[in-house]
Amino acid sequence: MEQQLHEPVFPANRGYLKRKKVYNNIAVFFAAAAFIIGSFPVFHIIFEAVSIGYKYLNWHFISTLPTGFPIGAEGGILNAVIGDVYLIVIASILAVPIGIGTGLYLSLFGKKRANAFLRLLNELMLGIPSIVWGIVGFYVFSTNTGPGFHFGFSALAGGLTLGFIMTPIITLLTEQAVNQIPASYIEGALALGATKWQATRSVILKAALGGIFIGILLGVMNIIGQTAPLLFTNYYNTGMPTGVTGPGGAVGDLAMLIFIYIHEPSKILHYKAEAASVVLLLFIFALDLGLRLINYLAKRFIL
Amino acid sequence: MPENIKEVHTDNIIVNVKDLNFYYGNYHLLKSVNLYFKKNSVCTLLGPSGCGKSTFLRTLNRMNDYTEGAKLTGEVLINGKNIYDKSVDVVELRRDIGMVFQNPNPFPKSIFENVAFGLKIHGIKNKDFIVERVEKCLKYSGLYDEVKDKLNKSALSLSGGQQQRLCIARAIATNPSILLMDEPTAYLDPVSTSIILDLINSFKKYYTIIVVSHNVQQSGRISDYSGFFLDGELIEFDEAGAFFTRPKDKRTENFITSRY
Repeated sequence: MEQQLHEPVFPANRGYLKRKKVYNNIAVFFAAAAFIIGSFPVFHIIFEAVSIGYKYLNWHFISTLPTGFPIGAEGGILNAVIGDVYLIVIASILAVPIGIGTGLYLSLFGKKRANAFLRLLNELMLGIPSIVWGIVGFYVFSTNTGPGFHFGFSALAGGLTLGFIMTPIITLLTEQAVNQIPASYIEGALALGATKWQATRSVILKAALGGIFIGILLGVMNIIGQTAPLLFTNYYNTGMPTGVTGPGGAVGDLAMLIFIYIHEPSKILHYKAEAASVVLLLFIFALDLGLRLINYLAKRFIL
Repeated sequence: MPENIKEVHTDNIIVNVKDLNFYYGNYHLLKSVNLYFKKNSVCTLLGPSGCGKSTFLRTLNRMNDYTEGAKLTGEVLINGKNIYDKSVDVVELRRDIGMVFQNPNPFPKSIFENVAFGLKIHGIKNKDFIVERVEKCLKYSGLYDEVKDKLNKSALSLSGGQQQRLCIARAIATNPSILLMDEPTAYLDPVSTSIILDLINSFKKYYTIIVVSHNVQQSGRISDYSGFFLDGELIEFDEAGAFFTRPKDKRTENFITSRY
Protein backbone atom coordinates (compact mmCIF):
# COMPACT_ATOMS: atom_id res chain seq x y z
CA MET A 1 0.00 0.00 0.00
CA GLU A 2 2.76 2.39 0.99
CA GLN A 3 4.65 1.51 -2.16
CA GLN A 4 1.67 2.50 -4.24
CA LEU A 5 1.43 5.92 -2.61
CA HIS A 6 4.86 6.84 -3.89
CA GLU A 7 4.11 5.57 -7.39
CA PRO A 8 3.83 8.49 -9.85
CA VAL A 9 0.32 9.18 -11.12
CA PHE A 10 1.52 9.16 -14.71
CA PRO A 11 4.34 7.10 -16.26
CA ALA A 12 7.62 9.03 -16.35
CA ASN A 13 9.23 9.49 -19.75
CA ARG A 14 12.77 8.69 -18.60
CA GLY A 15 14.34 9.32 -21.99
CA TYR A 16 12.94 12.85 -22.07
CA LEU A 17 13.97 13.54 -18.50
CA LYS A 18 17.57 12.85 -19.55
CA ARG A 19 17.34 14.76 -22.80
CA LYS A 20 15.83 17.89 -21.28
CA LYS A 21 19.11 18.64 -19.50
CA VAL A 22 20.91 18.41 -22.83
CA TYR A 23 18.39 20.81 -24.39
CA ASN A 24 18.98 23.18 -21.52
CA ASN A 25 22.75 23.08 -22.03
CA ILE A 26 22.33 23.74 -25.76
CA ALA A 27 20.16 26.78 -25.04
CA VAL A 28 22.67 28.15 -22.53
CA PHE A 29 25.50 27.58 -25.01
CA PHE A 30 23.75 29.52 -27.76
CA ALA A 31 22.82 32.37 -25.43
CA ALA A 32 26.42 32.66 -24.24
CA ALA A 33 27.74 32.46 -27.80
CA ALA A 34 25.34 35.20 -28.91
CA PHE A 35 26.54 37.44 -26.09
CA ILE A 36 30.20 36.89 -26.92
CA ILE A 37 29.69 37.51 -30.64
CA GLY A 38 27.55 40.57 -29.91
CA SER A 39 29.95 42.14 -27.45
CA PHE A 40 33.08 41.35 -29.51
CA PRO A 41 32.89 44.54 -31.63
CA VAL A 42 32.69 46.71 -28.52
CA PHE A 43 35.85 45.25 -27.03
CA HIS A 44 37.53 45.25 -30.42
CA ILE A 45 36.77 48.96 -30.94
CA ILE A 46 38.06 49.86 -27.50
CA PHE A 47 41.20 47.74 -27.96
CA GLU A 48 41.94 49.11 -31.46
CA ALA A 49 41.32 52.72 -30.53
CA VAL A 50 43.36 52.51 -27.35
CA SER A 51 46.27 50.64 -28.93
CA ILE A 52 46.56 53.17 -31.76
CA GLY A 53 45.76 56.38 -29.95
CA TYR A 54 47.17 55.63 -26.49
CA LYS A 55 50.04 58.14 -26.93
CA TYR A 56 47.60 61.03 -26.88
CA LEU A 57 45.37 59.90 -24.06
CA ASN A 58 46.38 62.43 -21.46
CA TRP A 59 45.06 65.57 -19.86
CA HIS A 60 47.05 67.79 -22.23
CA PHE A 61 45.17 66.27 -25.19
CA ILE A 62 41.78 67.15 -23.73
CA SER A 63 42.66 70.58 -22.34
CA THR A 64 44.37 72.34 -25.26
CA LEU A 65 43.16 73.72 -28.57
CA PRO A 66 44.48 72.18 -31.81
CA THR A 67 47.47 73.97 -33.41
CA GLY A 68 50.25 73.19 -35.90
CA PHE A 69 50.07 72.25 -39.54
CA PRO A 70 47.88 70.56 -40.70
CA ILE A 71 45.75 72.00 -37.92
CA GLY A 72 45.58 69.50 -35.11
CA ALA A 73 49.09 68.11 -35.60
CA GLU A 74 49.93 69.72 -32.31
CA GLY A 75 47.75 70.50 -29.34
CA GLY A 76 44.55 68.69 -28.39
CA ILE A 77 40.83 68.57 -28.89
CA LEU A 78 39.48 71.10 -26.40
CA ASN A 79 37.46 72.82 -29.14
CA ALA A 80 35.50 69.62 -29.75
CA VAL A 81 34.91 68.82 -26.09
CA ILE A 82 33.59 72.32 -25.36
CA GLY A 83 31.59 72.25 -28.59
CA ASP A 84 29.91 68.99 -27.62
CA VAL A 85 28.85 70.53 -24.33
CA TYR A 86 27.35 73.49 -26.23
CA LEU A 87 25.48 71.21 -28.61
CA ILE A 88 24.14 68.91 -25.89
CA VAL A 89 22.91 71.83 -23.79
CA ILE A 90 21.19 73.55 -26.73
CA ALA A 91 19.65 70.31 -27.98
CA SER A 92 18.40 69.41 -24.49
CA ILE A 93 16.82 72.82 -23.96
CA LEU A 94 14.69 72.13 -27.03
CA ALA A 95 14.16 68.38 -26.72
CA VAL A 96 13.62 67.72 -23.00
CA PRO A 97 10.50 69.86 -22.45
CA ILE A 98 8.95 69.03 -25.82
CA GLY A 99 9.78 65.32 -25.51
CA ILE A 100 8.48 64.95 -21.97
CA GLY A 101 5.41 67.05 -22.73
CA THR A 102 4.50 65.00 -25.79
CA GLY A 103 5.11 61.76 -23.92
CA LEU A 104 2.84 62.84 -21.06
CA TYR A 105 0.17 63.98 -23.50
CA LEU A 106 0.25 60.65 -25.30
CA SER A 107 -0.02 58.54 -22.17
CA LEU A 108 -2.36 60.65 -20.05
CA PHE A 109 -4.35 63.31 -21.81
CA GLY A 110 -4.81 62.46 -25.47
CA LYS A 111 -7.76 60.77 -27.09
CA LYS A 112 -7.30 57.44 -28.79
CA ARG A 113 -7.46 58.53 -32.42
CA ALA A 114 -5.30 61.62 -32.01
CA ASN A 115 -2.81 59.49 -30.10
CA ALA A 116 -2.54 56.95 -32.89
CA PHE A 117 -1.69 59.76 -35.28
CA LEU A 118 0.83 61.36 -32.92
CA ARG A 119 2.48 58.02 -32.27
CA LEU A 120 2.81 57.47 -36.02
CA LEU A 121 4.41 60.89 -36.39
CA ASN A 122 6.79 60.12 -33.56
CA GLU A 123 7.84 56.81 -35.10
CA LEU A 124 8.37 58.58 -38.40
CA MET A 125 10.58 61.12 -36.68
CA LEU A 126 12.56 58.31 -35.08
CA GLY A 127 13.09 56.75 -38.49
CA ILE A 128 14.15 59.87 -40.41
CA PRO A 129 17.82 59.47 -41.44
CA SER A 130 20.13 61.96 -39.77
CA ILE A 131 21.34 63.37 -43.09
CA VAL A 132 17.75 64.38 -43.84
CA TRP A 133 17.63 66.16 -40.49
CA GLY A 134 20.76 67.94 -41.63
CA ILE A 135 19.01 69.27 -44.73
CA VAL A 136 15.95 70.25 -42.68
CA GLY A 137 18.18 72.03 -40.18
CA PHE A 138 20.01 73.79 -42.99
CA TYR A 139 16.84 75.19 -44.52
CA VAL A 140 15.15 76.04 -41.24
CA PHE A 141 18.07 77.39 -39.21
CA SER A 142 21.21 77.95 -41.22
CA THR A 143 20.50 79.28 -44.69
CA ASN A 144 20.67 83.03 -45.05
CA THR A 145 18.15 83.23 -47.86
CA GLY A 146 14.43 82.56 -47.88
CA PRO A 147 12.27 81.99 -44.82
CA GLY A 148 14.00 80.61 -41.75
CA PHE A 149 15.93 81.70 -38.71
CA HIS A 150 19.17 82.70 -40.49
CA PHE A 151 21.39 81.43 -37.68
CA GLY A 152 24.17 80.60 -40.11
CA PHE A 153 26.56 77.74 -39.40
CA SER A 154 26.48 77.89 -35.64
CA ALA A 155 26.14 75.87 -32.46
CA LEU A 156 22.61 77.24 -32.21
CA ALA A 157 21.54 75.83 -35.58
CA GLY A 158 23.39 72.55 -35.04
CA GLY A 159 22.11 72.12 -31.49
CA LEU A 160 18.50 72.75 -32.44
CA THR A 161 18.76 70.28 -35.31
CA LEU A 162 20.16 67.68 -32.92
CA GLY A 163 17.29 68.54 -30.58
CA PHE A 164 14.84 67.38 -33.24
CA ILE A 165 16.61 64.03 -33.33
CA MET A 166 16.52 63.78 -29.56
CA THR A 167 12.86 64.71 -29.09
CA PRO A 168 11.14 61.53 -30.37
CA ILE A 169 13.45 59.34 -28.29
CA ILE A 170 12.50 61.19 -25.11
CA THR A 171 8.83 61.11 -26.12
CA LEU A 172 8.88 57.36 -26.65
CA LEU A 173 10.66 56.60 -23.38
CA THR A 174 8.49 59.02 -21.37
CA GLU A 175 5.31 57.45 -22.69
CA GLN A 176 6.57 53.97 -21.89
CA ALA A 177 7.67 55.02 -18.42
CA VAL A 178 4.28 56.56 -17.61
CA ASN A 179 2.40 53.58 -19.03
CA GLN A 180 4.28 51.32 -16.65
CA ILE A 181 3.01 53.19 -13.60
CA PRO A 182 0.15 51.24 -12.03
CA ALA A 183 -3.20 52.78 -13.00
CA SER A 184 -4.16 52.69 -9.32
CA TYR A 185 -1.77 55.59 -8.54
CA ILE A 186 -3.53 57.80 -11.05
CA GLU A 187 -7.00 56.63 -10.01
CA GLY A 188 -6.18 57.17 -6.36
CA ALA A 189 -5.16 60.75 -7.02
CA LEU A 190 -8.16 61.47 -9.24
CA ALA A 191 -10.57 59.98 -6.71
CA LEU A 192 -9.28 62.44 -4.12
CA GLY A 193 -10.30 65.29 -6.39
CA ALA A 194 -6.96 65.97 -8.05
CA THR A 195 -6.99 67.41 -11.53
CA LYS A 196 -5.07 65.46 -14.13
CA TRP A 197 -2.20 67.91 -13.95
CA GLN A 198 -2.04 67.67 -10.14
CA ALA A 199 -1.98 63.89 -10.39
CA THR A 200 0.74 64.10 -13.03
CA ARG A 201 2.90 66.55 -11.16
CA SER A 202 2.72 65.06 -7.71
CA VAL A 203 2.42 61.33 -8.33
CA ILE A 204 3.19 60.32 -11.88
CA LEU A 205 6.27 62.39 -12.71
CA LYS A 206 8.06 61.11 -9.65
CA ALA A 207 7.24 57.49 -10.31
CA ALA A 208 8.23 57.83 -13.96
CA LEU A 209 11.39 59.83 -13.30
CA GLY A 210 13.72 56.87 -13.82
CA GLY A 211 12.27 56.06 -17.23
CA ILE A 212 12.33 59.70 -18.32
CA PHE A 213 15.99 60.01 -17.33
CA ILE A 214 16.81 56.93 -19.35
CA GLY A 215 15.07 58.60 -22.31
CA ILE A 216 17.17 61.74 -21.93
CA LEU A 217 20.30 59.63 -21.56
CA LEU A 218 19.59 57.66 -24.74
CA GLY A 219 18.81 60.89 -26.57
CA VAL A 220 22.10 62.52 -25.55
CA MET A 221 24.05 59.37 -26.39
CA ASN A 222 22.42 59.33 -29.79
CA ILE A 223 23.14 62.93 -30.73
CA ILE A 224 26.67 62.95 -29.41
CA GLY A 225 27.72 60.59 -32.17
CA GLN A 226 25.90 62.39 -34.98
CA THR A 227 27.90 63.98 -37.77
CA ALA A 228 25.48 64.15 -40.69
CA PRO A 229 23.10 66.78 -39.25
CA LEU A 230 26.06 68.98 -38.35
CA LEU A 231 27.49 68.95 -41.89
CA PHE A 232 24.95 71.54 -43.04
CA THR A 233 24.22 73.37 -39.80
CA ASN A 234 27.41 73.73 -37.78
CA TYR A 235 30.26 71.95 -39.53
CA TYR A 236 33.39 72.48 -37.48
CA ASN A 237 35.49 75.04 -35.76
CA THR A 238 39.10 74.59 -34.78
CA GLY A 239 38.86 77.26 -32.13
CA MET A 240 36.31 78.49 -29.66
CA PRO A 241 33.06 80.07 -30.87
CA THR A 242 33.22 83.85 -31.08
CA GLY A 243 29.55 84.66 -31.59
CA VAL A 244 26.06 83.30 -31.34
CA THR A 245 25.13 83.11 -35.01
CA GLY A 246 26.98 83.15 -38.31
CA PRO A 247 30.31 81.55 -38.97
CA GLY A 248 31.66 82.68 -35.61
CA GLY A 249 29.00 80.69 -33.80
CA ALA A 250 30.22 77.33 -35.06
CA VAL A 251 31.78 74.96 -32.53
CA GLY A 252 33.96 71.88 -32.72
CA ASP A 253 32.48 68.46 -32.22
CA LEU A 254 34.13 65.15 -31.41
CA ALA A 255 32.32 63.10 -34.04
CA MET A 256 32.99 65.78 -36.65
CA LEU A 257 36.63 65.98 -35.54
CA ILE A 258 37.09 62.24 -36.06
CA PHE A 259 35.44 62.50 -39.48
CA ILE A 260 37.73 65.36 -40.56
CA TYR A 261 40.99 64.01 -39.08
CA ILE A 262 40.50 60.60 -40.71
CA HIS A 263 40.18 62.32 -44.08
CA GLU A 264 43.48 64.17 -43.70
CA PRO A 265 46.56 62.58 -45.32
CA SER A 266 48.51 62.65 -42.07
CA LYS A 267 49.43 59.70 -39.84
CA ILE A 268 49.49 61.86 -36.74
CA LEU A 269 45.92 63.04 -37.31
CA HIS A 270 44.77 59.45 -37.78
CA TYR A 271 46.23 58.57 -34.40
CA LYS A 272 44.57 61.59 -32.87
CA ALA A 273 41.25 60.57 -34.40
CA GLU A 274 41.57 57.17 -32.68
CA ALA A 275 42.41 58.87 -29.40
CA ALA A 276 39.40 61.17 -29.86
CA SER A 277 37.19 58.09 -30.34
CA VAL A 278 38.32 56.82 -26.96
CA VAL A 279 37.55 60.21 -25.43
CA LEU A 280 34.09 60.09 -27.05
CA LEU A 281 33.47 56.62 -25.62
CA LEU A 282 34.60 57.76 -22.19
CA PHE A 283 32.37 60.83 -22.52
CA ILE A 284 29.36 58.61 -23.20
CA PHE A 285 30.34 56.31 -20.36
CA ALA A 286 30.62 59.25 -17.98
CA LEU A 287 27.24 60.58 -19.12
CA ASP A 288 25.72 57.18 -18.47
CA LEU A 289 27.14 57.02 -14.96
CA GLY A 290 26.17 60.63 -14.26
CA LEU A 291 22.56 60.22 -15.31
CA ARG A 292 22.29 56.98 -13.37
CA LEU A 293 23.56 58.79 -10.32
CA ILE A 294 20.99 61.57 -10.79
CA ASN A 295 18.29 58.96 -11.22
CA TYR A 296 19.35 57.21 -8.02
CA LEU A 297 19.52 60.44 -6.05
CA ALA A 298 16.15 61.59 -7.37
CA LYS A 299 14.49 58.35 -6.32
CA ARG A 300 16.15 58.49 -2.95
CA PHE A 301 15.66 62.07 -1.89
CA ILE A 302 12.81 63.68 -3.84
CA LEU A 303 10.28 61.57 -2.00
CA MET B 1 -37.49 45.41 -9.09
CA PRO B 2 -38.85 48.80 -7.99
CA GLU B 3 -41.60 47.20 -5.92
CA ASN B 4 -38.86 45.92 -3.60
CA ILE B 5 -38.12 49.45 -2.52
CA LYS B 6 -40.37 50.71 0.21
CA GLU B 7 -41.50 54.28 0.37
CA VAL B 8 -38.94 56.17 2.39
CA HIS B 9 -38.69 59.57 3.97
CA THR B 10 -36.85 61.65 1.42
CA ASP B 11 -35.18 64.00 3.91
CA ASN B 12 -32.85 61.27 5.11
CA ILE B 13 -31.65 60.25 1.67
CA ILE B 14 -28.23 61.49 0.62
CA VAL B 15 -27.77 59.58 -2.62
CA ASN B 16 -30.66 58.78 -4.90
CA VAL B 17 -30.06 56.86 -8.10
CA LYS B 18 -32.84 57.03 -10.66
CA ASP B 19 -33.08 54.78 -13.71
CA LEU B 20 -29.34 54.53 -14.19
CA ASN B 21 -28.15 52.82 -17.37
CA PHE B 22 -24.50 52.37 -18.20
CA TYR B 23 -23.12 51.27 -21.54
CA TYR B 24 -19.61 50.34 -22.42
CA GLY B 25 -19.51 50.49 -26.21
CA ASN B 26 -22.46 48.35 -27.22
CA TYR B 27 -22.44 46.41 -23.98
CA HIS B 28 -25.28 47.26 -21.64
CA LEU B 29 -23.50 47.01 -18.30
CA LEU B 30 -25.99 48.49 -15.82
CA LYS B 31 -29.67 48.06 -16.53
CA SER B 32 -32.09 50.57 -15.09
CA VAL B 33 -30.78 50.73 -11.56
CA ASN B 34 -32.95 52.50 -8.96
CA LEU B 35 -31.45 52.89 -5.54
CA TYR B 36 -31.13 55.19 -2.57
CA PHE B 37 -28.66 55.52 0.27
CA LYS B 38 -29.54 56.96 3.64
CA LYS B 39 -27.41 59.34 5.62
CA ASN B 40 -25.00 57.81 8.14
CA SER B 41 -25.72 54.25 7.16
CA VAL B 42 -23.57 51.44 5.82
CA CYS B 43 -24.81 49.93 2.62
CA THR B 44 -23.23 46.88 1.02
CA LEU B 45 -23.68 45.90 -2.59
CA LEU B 46 -23.24 42.20 -3.15
CA GLY B 47 -22.92 40.18 -6.31
CA PRO B 48 -20.67 37.80 -8.22
CA SER B 49 -17.64 39.10 -10.16
CA GLY B 50 -18.48 40.98 -13.32
CA CYS B 51 -22.05 41.83 -12.31
CA GLY B 52 -21.41 45.58 -12.56
CA LYS B 53 -21.33 46.47 -8.89
CA SER B 54 -17.90 48.11 -9.08
CA THR B 55 -18.96 50.01 -12.18
CA PHE B 56 -22.01 51.20 -10.30
CA LEU B 57 -19.86 52.41 -7.42
CA ARG B 58 -17.64 54.30 -9.83
CA THR B 59 -20.60 56.08 -11.37
CA LEU B 60 -21.25 57.67 -7.96
CA ASN B 61 -18.08 59.77 -8.10
CA ARG B 62 -17.81 59.88 -11.88
CA MET B 63 -14.65 57.80 -12.06
CA ASN B 64 -15.98 56.33 -15.29
CA ASP B 65 -15.58 59.71 -16.99
CA TYR B 66 -12.14 58.72 -18.25
CA THR B 67 -13.19 55.36 -19.68
CA GLU B 68 -13.44 55.75 -23.42
CA GLY B 69 -16.63 54.42 -24.96
CA ALA B 70 -18.59 54.73 -21.72
CA LYS B 71 -22.11 56.18 -21.90
CA LEU B 72 -24.55 56.82 -19.13
CA THR B 73 -28.23 57.70 -18.90
CA GLY B 74 -30.36 58.41 -15.87
CA GLU B 75 -29.72 60.47 -12.79
CA VAL B 76 -27.55 60.27 -9.72
CA LEU B 77 -28.82 62.78 -7.16
CA ILE B 78 -26.51 63.62 -4.30
CA ASN B 79 -28.16 65.93 -1.79
CA GLY B 80 -30.83 66.48 -4.43
CA LYS B 81 -28.43 67.58 -7.15
CA ASN B 82 -27.71 65.55 -10.27
CA ILE B 83 -23.95 64.99 -10.37
CA TYR B 84 -24.05 64.40 -14.13
CA ASP B 85 -25.35 67.91 -14.61
CA LYS B 86 -23.09 70.09 -16.75
CA SER B 87 -22.65 72.65 -13.99
CA VAL B 88 -21.12 70.15 -11.56
CA ASP B 89 -17.39 70.43 -10.97
CA VAL B 90 -15.94 66.92 -10.81
CA VAL B 91 -13.07 68.04 -8.61
CA GLU B 92 -15.43 69.54 -6.02
CA LEU B 93 -17.64 66.47 -6.24
CA ARG B 94 -14.81 64.08 -5.47
CA ARG B 95 -13.72 66.18 -2.54
CA ASP B 96 -17.06 65.31 -0.95
CA ILE B 97 -16.87 61.62 -1.89
CA GLY B 98 -13.92 59.62 -0.65
CA MET B 99 -13.00 56.38 -2.33
CA VAL B 100 -11.04 53.33 -1.17
CA PHE B 101 -9.94 50.81 -3.77
CA GLN B 102 -9.63 47.06 -3.88
CA ASN B 103 -5.83 47.11 -4.01
CA PRO B 104 -4.26 49.23 -1.33
CA ASN B 105 -2.82 51.99 -3.52
CA PRO B 106 -0.80 54.44 -1.43
CA PHE B 107 1.30 56.83 -3.50
CA PRO B 108 5.05 56.25 -3.57
CA LYS B 109 5.47 59.06 -1.06
CA SER B 110 5.93 59.27 2.68
CA ILE B 111 3.12 58.25 5.02
CA PHE B 112 2.56 61.88 6.00
CA GLU B 113 2.49 63.10 2.40
CA ASN B 114 -0.03 60.42 1.48
CA VAL B 115 -2.59 61.66 3.98
CA ALA B 116 -1.76 65.31 3.33
CA PHE B 117 -2.16 64.84 -0.43
CA GLY B 118 -5.90 65.45 -0.46
CA LEU B 119 -5.51 68.64 1.56
CA LYS B 120 -2.68 69.98 -0.57
CA ILE B 121 -4.41 69.47 -3.89
CA HIS B 122 -7.36 71.44 -2.59
CA GLY B 123 -5.11 74.37 -1.90
CA ILE B 124 -4.64 74.18 1.87
CA LYS B 125 -1.25 75.65 2.73
CA ASN B 126 -1.47 76.12 6.51
CA LYS B 127 1.21 73.70 7.79
CA ASP B 128 -0.10 73.46 11.35
CA PHE B 129 -3.57 72.62 10.12
CA ILE B 130 -2.24 69.91 7.80
CA VAL B 131 -0.12 68.33 10.55
CA GLU B 132 -3.06 68.33 12.93
CA ARG B 133 -5.45 66.93 10.34
CA VAL B 134 -3.04 64.16 9.26
CA GLU B 135 -2.59 63.12 12.87
CA LYS B 136 -6.33 63.10 13.44
CA CYS B 137 -7.08 61.03 10.33
CA LEU B 138 -4.37 58.52 11.19
CA LYS B 139 -5.90 58.21 14.66
CA TYR B 140 -9.38 57.72 13.20
CA SER B 141 -8.12 54.91 11.01
CA GLY B 142 -6.33 53.32 13.95
CA LEU B 143 -2.93 53.60 12.32
CA TYR B 144 -1.38 56.39 14.34
CA ASP B 145 0.22 54.31 17.09
CA GLU B 146 1.81 52.03 14.53
CA VAL B 147 3.32 54.75 12.34
CA LYS B 148 3.83 57.80 14.58
CA ASP B 149 7.62 57.30 14.66
CA LYS B 150 8.01 56.85 10.92
CA LEU B 151 5.71 59.39 9.32
CA ASN B 152 8.45 60.32 6.87
CA LYS B 153 9.11 56.74 5.77
CA SER B 154 7.76 55.55 2.43
CA ALA B 155 4.16 54.36 2.57
CA LEU B 156 5.15 51.33 0.52
CA SER B 157 7.09 49.98 3.50
CA LEU B 158 3.84 49.29 5.37
CA SER B 159 2.04 45.94 5.35
CA GLY B 160 -0.99 45.39 3.14
CA GLY B 161 -3.50 45.94 5.93
CA GLN B 162 -1.71 49.07 7.12
CA GLN B 163 -1.57 50.38 3.56
CA GLN B 164 -5.32 49.94 3.22
CA ARG B 165 -5.93 51.80 6.49
CA LEU B 166 -3.59 54.52 5.23
CA CYS B 167 -5.75 54.76 2.10
CA ILE B 168 -8.80 55.13 4.32
CA ALA B 169 -7.05 57.88 6.29
CA ARG B 170 -6.18 59.55 2.98
CA ALA B 171 -9.78 59.32 1.82
CA ILE B 172 -11.24 60.89 4.98
CA ALA B 173 -8.63 63.68 5.18
CA THR B 174 -10.73 66.01 3.03
CA ASN B 175 -13.70 65.35 5.31
CA PRO B 176 -16.08 63.83 2.75
CA SER B 177 -19.69 63.04 3.54
CA ILE B 178 -19.77 59.83 1.52
CA LEU B 179 -17.19 57.05 1.52
CA LEU B 180 -17.10 54.57 -1.35
CA MET B 181 -15.28 51.30 -0.79
CA ASP B 182 -14.58 48.89 -3.61
CA GLU B 183 -13.97 45.48 -1.98
CA PRO B 184 -11.69 47.05 0.62
CA THR B 185 -10.82 43.74 2.27
CA ALA B 186 -10.43 41.53 -0.79
CA TYR B 187 -6.65 41.22 -0.54
CA LEU B 188 -6.22 41.37 3.20
CA ASP B 189 -5.60 38.77 5.89
CA PRO B 190 -8.39 38.01 8.42
CA VAL B 191 -6.93 40.20 11.18
CA SER B 192 -6.62 43.28 8.93
CA THR B 193 -10.05 42.55 7.51
CA SER B 194 -11.54 42.51 10.98
CA ILE B 195 -9.90 45.83 11.86
CA ILE B 196 -11.26 47.45 8.71
CA LEU B 197 -14.77 46.11 9.27
CA ASP B 198 -14.70 47.58 12.79
CA LEU B 199 -13.53 50.87 11.29
CA ILE B 200 -16.47 50.89 8.90
CA ASN B 201 -18.85 50.33 11.79
CA SER B 202 -17.39 53.18 13.81
CA PHE B 203 -17.28 55.54 10.80
CA LYS B 204 -21.04 55.34 10.40
CA LYS B 205 -21.45 58.28 12.75
CA TYR B 206 -19.61 60.61 10.39
CA TYR B 207 -20.05 59.27 6.89
CA THR B 208 -22.44 57.51 4.59
CA ILE B 209 -20.56 54.39 3.59
CA ILE B 210 -21.19 52.36 0.45
CA VAL B 211 -19.25 49.10 0.26
CA VAL B 212 -18.96 46.76 -2.69
CA SER B 213 -18.23 43.21 -1.67
CA HIS B 214 -18.66 39.60 -2.67
CA ASN B 215 -18.24 38.28 0.80
CA VAL B 216 -21.63 37.61 2.37
CA GLN B 217 -20.45 37.10 5.97
CA GLN B 218 -18.43 40.30 6.07
CA SER B 219 -21.32 42.24 4.56
CA GLY B 220 -23.70 40.82 7.12
CA ARG B 221 -21.45 42.09 9.89
CA ILE B 222 -21.48 45.71 8.82
CA SER B 223 -24.60 46.39 6.76
CA ASP B 224 -27.60 48.56 7.50
CA TYR B 225 -28.84 48.16 3.94
CA SER B 226 -27.90 45.62 1.36
CA GLY B 227 -28.35 45.24 -2.37
CA PHE B 228 -27.77 42.35 -4.72
CA PHE B 229 -26.52 42.82 -8.28
CA LEU B 230 -26.66 40.17 -10.99
CA ASP B 231 -25.73 40.73 -14.63
CA GLY B 232 -26.07 44.49 -14.31
CA GLU B 233 -29.50 44.40 -12.68
CA LEU B 234 -30.28 45.31 -9.12
CA ILE B 235 -32.21 42.21 -8.06
CA GLU B 236 -33.03 43.22 -4.54
CA PHE B 237 -32.42 46.07 -2.15
CA ASP B 238 -33.58 46.04 1.45
CA GLU B 239 -32.69 46.64 5.06
CA ALA B 240 -29.94 44.27 6.12
CA GLY B 241 -32.03 42.30 8.60
CA ALA B 242 -34.64 41.39 6.02
CA PHE B 243 -32.13 41.04 3.22
CA PHE B 244 -29.97 38.45 4.92
CA THR B 245 -32.71 36.48 6.69
CA ARG B 246 -35.75 36.67 4.40
CA PRO B 247 -34.62 37.51 0.87
CA LYS B 248 -37.60 37.96 -1.43
CA ASP B 249 -35.92 36.84 -4.60
CA LYS B 250 -34.80 33.26 -5.17
CA ARG B 251 -31.57 34.43 -6.84
CA THR B 252 -30.62 36.52 -3.82
CA GLU B 253 -31.26 33.58 -1.54
CA ASN B 254 -29.07 31.37 -3.71
CA PHE B 255 -26.23 33.86 -3.53
CA ILE B 256 -26.49 34.43 0.21
CA THR B 257 -26.54 30.72 0.90
CA SER B 258 -23.62 30.22 -1.49
CA ARG B 259 -25.56 28.23 -4.02
CA TYR B 260 -24.03 30.03 -7.00
